[in-house]
Amino acid sequence: MGLLQGATELFPVSSLGHAVLVPSLLHWSFKQSDPAFVPFLVLLHLGTAAALLTLYRTQWVQIIRGFFTAAVRGRITNDSERLAMLLMTGTIPAAILGVFLENRIKSLFASPYAAAGLLVANGGLMLGAELLRRRTERRVQAASLSRIEQEERFNDAAHISFAAAALVGACQALAFLPGISRSGVTIGGGLLAGLRHQESARFSFLLATPVILGAALIEIPQLLNAGVPVVEFAAAAVLAGVAAYLSARFLLRYFRSGRLDPYGWYCVAAGLVSLALLHFGL
Amino acid sequence: MIRSTSLAVGLAVLGVVFIVIAALYAFGVLQILVSDPNSPHHYTHMILFIVLAVASFVAANFARPKTV
Repeated sequence: MGLLQGATELFPVSSLGHAVLVPSLLHWSFKQSDPAFVPFLVLLHLGTAAALLTLYRTQWVQIIRGFFTAAVRGRITNDSERLAMLLMTGTIPAAILGVFLENRIKSLFASPYAAAGLLVANGGLMLGAELLRRRTERRVQAASLSRIEQEERFNDAAHISFAAAALVGACQALAFLPGISRSGVTIGGGLLAGLRHQESARFSFLLATPVILGAALIEIPQLLNAGVPVVEFAAAAVLAGVAAYLSARFLLRYFRSGRLDPYGWYCVAAGLVSLALLHFGL
Repeated sequence: MIRSTSLAVGLAVLGVVFIVIAALYAFGVLQILVSDPNSPHHYTHMILFIVLAVASFVAANFARPKTV
């Protein structure tokens, strides 16, 4: 579960959807109704957050310093300060929606059937984002250029608008639906806001870090209270962190010239196959 | 960004309101949109409203007219 969650958290294929679907399909004994299930997933998220903090440790130092400098001065003077304020703007809608709606949404859609259906929808969202991106590339007459040259026509993360940052941040709330990928919707949202693929992935990972870390830290006392095997769960969190670190490195390299399409098609196919397997009880 | 004293004051007042709401959630006085109404404290909500208060104060500082 640790490897699965870590690998699927940053790949735009919905870790929560896979965490609901895979145990059901493989008949694992892990009970999703167990009170420790959600805290266990949150502990795995802590591993993922640690991986992201490690990957972006230098940038986070600059971002935190930039936040305090800009907040005290009341003015933005460089890209680190702007990125810090953009991340704050993007995190607030996700935090509000998460605190007030997360449990209600998760309880409504916690069935494997819903996860499989929403996985198909997740694929559709990513394919739709790429379709709109290709239209934009045609509009800016970049369609005939190489992929690297096409990407150079678009912005980096520090130059997204504040309204777009808030919207991309709010999109994270869609990931409370099992089957909808946080990184999928935020990378897709970043593309629509005019970011390069690689920068959209970077913004998505930076945006995810405080939300994942905050959610994990809040849930940890519940994990300790539940009387669960903490050592085993911690080992799973380490595995999740390693998988997440390698996934992030791979994705950042992939998105230099790659698109969301393969992940979109994977989600559509995996969702449809899962629906069929669940329906026929295989 | 729009800079005006009235906007800055409004955002600062909003920040204070958020701090009051955070305290009410922490002491269990407010029970709006909580997952467990029987819990005496709602620290998650408290943390959220503290974050909102900080954001409001930062925004107020940005909205404050600068002399230079």
